[in-house]
Amino acid sequence: MRGVTPTARTPARQRIAVPTSDALLAGIPAAWLFVFFVAPLAFTVFFSFGHSTFGGIAPGFTFDNYRAALSGFYAQSFLRTLRFAFAGSALCLLAAFPTAYFIARHAGRWRAAALALVLVPYFTSFLIRVMSWQILLARGSAVETLLNFLHLHSGPLDVLDTQTAVFIGIVYAYLPIAIVPLYVVLARIPATLVEASRDLGASPWQTFLFLTLPLARPGVATAALLTAVPMLGELVVPTLLGGDKGVLIGRAISSQYIESQNYALGSAMAVLVMIAVGVVVALLARLTRGFMEVAP
Amino acid sequence: MSRTRLAFRQPAGIGFGAWYLLAVAFLFAPIATSVIYSFNVGSLGKQTSLFTGWTLHWYAMAWRDLTLRRAVETSVVASFWSALLATLLGSALGFTMVRHPVRRVRSLLSGLTYLLLIVPETVTGVSLLLFYAVTRVPLSLATLIAGITPLAIAVTALIVRAGVLTLDRRYEEASADLGANRWQTLRFVILPHLAPAVGAGALMAYVFSFDNLVVSTFLTTPRVNTLPVYLFGSLQYGPAPTVYAAAAAIMFFTLALIGLAALLYRLAARRDLQARYQ
Repeated sequence: MRGVTPTARTPARQRIAVPTSDALLAGIPAAWLFVFFVAPLAFTVFFSFGHSTFGGIAPGFTFDNYRAALSGFYAQSFLRTLRFAFAGSALCLLAAFPTAYFIARHAGRWRAAALALVLVPYFTSFLIRVMSWQILLARGSAVETLLNFLHLHSGPLDVLDTQTAVFIGIVYAYLPIAIVPLYVVLARIPATLVEASRDLGASPWQTFLFLTLPLARPGVATAALLTAVPMLGELVVPTLLGGDKGVLIGRAISSQYIESQNYALGSAMAVLVMIAVGVVVALLARLTRGFMEVAP
Repeated sequence: MSRTRLAFRQPAGIGFGAWYLLAVAFLFAPIATSVIYSFNVGSLGKQTSLFTGWTLHWYAMAWRDLTLRRAVETSVVASFWSALLATLLGSALGFTMVRHPVRRVRSLLSGLTYLLLIVPETVTGVSLLLFYAVTRVPLSLATLIAGITPLAIAVTALIVRAGVLTLDRRYEEASADLGANRWQTLRFVILPHLAPAVGAGALMAYVFSFDNLVVSTFLTTPRVNTLPVYLFGSLQYGPAPTVYAAAAAIMFFTLALIGLAALLYRLAARRDLQARYQ
């Protein structure tokens, strides 16, 4: 953190002349982000050890907030959130992989268009996309009719306000962002490698398991990261589709700030979420030796 | 070409194709639904999951709803300023992430940008609320704008960074050799090359800011309310039909902006390609 503000400070050993322009171009955004992003996060960490006062917060040094955040109801919702993010991210990857595979391997010259088509929804309003599921999953909806028609389900659909609805919503919301990194790695695998594997007698499954999948690892890690991290703080999808059952940590934090006004406890919970995110990043980085770089 | 055809004929190719089509249907179903239901008559002035007939009534109602209109105005103003700030600061950040002479600064700046993307928005939002509460800054439009800029800056920075990565360093060297100072090089060599990326970044920043819900939830007040926060709030009392009309109208607008951003980006890509193969 310390090094963020003094932009042009170089160690004495490698004295590089930094043009004023570059110092300013790096310094101004860094300063802005320092004030409106890093400092608030630091405040959260600092006050997670403090006390909530009537309608406010006071600094201090106590672990009471963490004790409260890690026991009873909040501990349960924290664990539930971890499970939720894991399962949600896994489902997203399972749905995204064949889609990305198709775009990378089978779409031919329509590749760019096929990719753009799955990306368009990501850029329309997140809220609208999620709230439409309220209509789609309601009783007597088109989905109910369709599922009954296909004999995949019989009778009325009782999905809204359940975990299933939340998972549908979450896979829906993050599917496009999981497809992109998978597509990028899959498209990079040379077709000649796949042909060589076939020529050497590998079955399509063997080729997939021992060639495609290992080469796709950085993409899988990036996709897991891009989906699991927002799910750890998810607030909107469970609220709109999950009803009141099974409160996730994002909702619990938000209610500490907006309803209970217990900022100290909320801060401790937010710090726990950040720690969980850190662990996820570290684990994924370990598993795959690095991420791919993708623009959002 | 013939290989692609062949791939389609293989059973595996057909399976993947079917999966892709399912995914597309899945992704577009809610969007189509929200548009269709914005024309739904509903019953008793309420939105229903049953489609009861076509009407344009809700669009007119949404247009006349003053709270809704004020929320749209706030959203437009807030995302305009956020996009402007993100364009200036994010472009500078995206450029220096790649080109700052000191390696440690470069990695710090990219670290900061990636940190912005991995901290869940709920955490960012409550942190800002706490920050403003402790520093006793009353919530206003300005604090809302300041709060939603960091994410927009990160988005713009990554888009511009991708542009800078394809920019041949020798242009800058040639410009310096020909006697331009650093500012002149920036202004007359680098900026024109990055203009499409900066433009795309600006539009994306606008879209992301306009759509921002989570951070805004914590920073809006009854007086300063953005459209997503207003819609989210009204959904808790059962969807009002006007919500879908307003949402559909905004969505068409957003999609038009995205189309423009994509076009700009494509132009940039084409120019890069030409530059590379000349």
